[in-house]
Amino acid sequence: MSDINIGKAPPNSAVLPFYATGAVGFWVLCLLLMMGSHSFANHYFNPRLLAIVHTAALGWGTMIIFGAAHQLLPVICERDLFSPLLASLSWYLLTAGAGLLIYAFWTMQTGSIMISGGFLILLATLAYFINVIFTGNVCVHCSIERLFVFSSAFWLLFTAAAGVLLAVNLVHPLFKKNHLDLLKLHSHAGLAGWFLQLITGVSSKLVPMFLLGKSGKDKLLRYSFILQNAGLLLFLCDGYFFEVTPSRIIIYVALVVSGIICWLLYLYDTFRNRARKKADVHMKQTFLSFVCLGIAILLTPLLLFADDYRWSIVYGTFLFMGWITGIVLGKTFKTLPFIVWNAHYKNLSGKARVPLPKNLYNEVLVQWQFRIFIVAIILLVAGILLNAVIVIQVASVVWLLLASVYLFNVIKVLLHKTTILS
Amino acid sequence: MIVSLAQPYADKKIKAQQALYNVIDPELFVNVIDLGLIYDIAFDEENNITVTMTLSTPHCPMGEAITNGVRNALEMTFPGHTINIMLTFEPKWNFEMLTEEGRAQLGV
Repeated sequence: MSDINIGKAPPNSAVLPFYATGAVGFWVLCLLLMMGSHSFANHYFNPRLLAIVHTAALGWGTMIIFGAAHQLLPVICERDLFSPLLASLSWYLLTAGAGLLIYAFWTMQTGSIMISGGFLILLATLAYFINVIFTGNVCVHCSIERLFVFSSAFWLLFTAAAGVLLAVNLVHPLFKKNHLDLLKLHSHAGLAGWFLQLITGVSSKLVPMFLLGKSGKDKLLRYSFILQNAGLLLFLCDGYFFEVTPSRIIIYVALVVSGIICWLLYLYDTFRNRARKKADVHMKQTFLSFVCLGIAILLTPLLLFADDYRWSIVYGTFLFMGWITGIVLGKTFKTLPFIVWNAHYKNLSGKARVPLPKNLYNEVLVQWQFRIFIVAIILLVAGILLNAVIVIQVASVVWLLLASVYLFNVIKVLLHKTTILS
Repeated sequence: MIVSLAQPYADKKIKAQQALYNVIDPELFVNVIDLGLIYDIAFDEENNITVTMTLSTPHCPMGEAITNGVRNALEMTFPGHTINIMLTFEPKWNFEMLTEEGRAQLGV
């Protein structure tokens, strides 16, 4: 073998527990959605909705993303994962922290439980941040994708730190500013800093790999990085140090949206210059998640100028249940079966006839997952807009069905036994 | 990779190529020959086989499985030979390297 390091996949203990817990987290999220349907008809600052949002952000989105990121960091940085031990540690911390925090919100117990949960999550994000920094430290090629992964890890740490301070603020007031205004800064650091920048960086690396495509327009990604971070930074500084006005918010939103457009143009250019013409169901699901992100962005003026809290809830629904959930559902079966397949078959490849990664899960169920997702998001948004609790309840049953189908398929992959085909 | 019958060890190279048609990229479902990942297969008198090959991307998540597959397939076809895998990213793989069959399988 030549001395080129093609890298070793991180041990499964650094990756698979996140996928398993994330799938359970999604099921719990949908259960909470069903139990807390009434909260969608109230103002967004209510205990049940806060519990649901944090289950979506931490127990589901961040949980799966941590697992995928530990697997993909070596691909993006072209170097082995710095510390699988830290990766495992972040799983324990995130699982315990998210559990405590969600329980504290659901039962509205401000104080030690909420603060402890937040602190454990902060430690989990710190462990992840250290892994990102040191895995990327001696990158062979400095790439814009890597910068996005770095910045997203920083914004996650920032969001978690702000979250702990907000939890303390509920018991011992630390800030002079209105708690709800600070909550907006915390949530947008998480959405536009952590989720958006991580998804931008990872998708810019993976979509060309999945489509066998290429784009020569790398500068679009550089513009995207600058615009997304400039918009977010200005919004946070203005929001914290001054009294931010809707007209100024529109400017910051325009900066972030311009960054998103640059990123999507890059992906479109890759799509146009692809070898693989047929889009599979995973790519369709991913495309739909981008549509949800677009709708959420288009709702921003209503959020600012219409005096109706329902738009905030619809906006959050499109982001958490449409965009983040959509992309995770779309990408789970593009990553997890390969990770499990590698563990079972990488040494048997070429020696015997073995199943392919796509044989590790039920493809028909993935098709159904896509269809159920469309019904679920439409019903939920309709229920919120109509302020009809019964429609929200029906939607939550559909969401629970979706989560059950997804959980079944994830378990099927995780419990796969090595098989030699005759 | 095109094997000329005038080359030394041409018969063995063709046999090796046939063996590598069975090594499938698990993500693309296309074998490594039709994907154009194999740049050269060299034999010598000391029963060494040196495969010069690439991957579709550096740190390809399936890289280890693919190189193991190449090694396993050649070890089974040529018992007693020593297999050396030389990975290179010069030239970088691109989809111009696909064979006609590979293009057909990917729907290009």
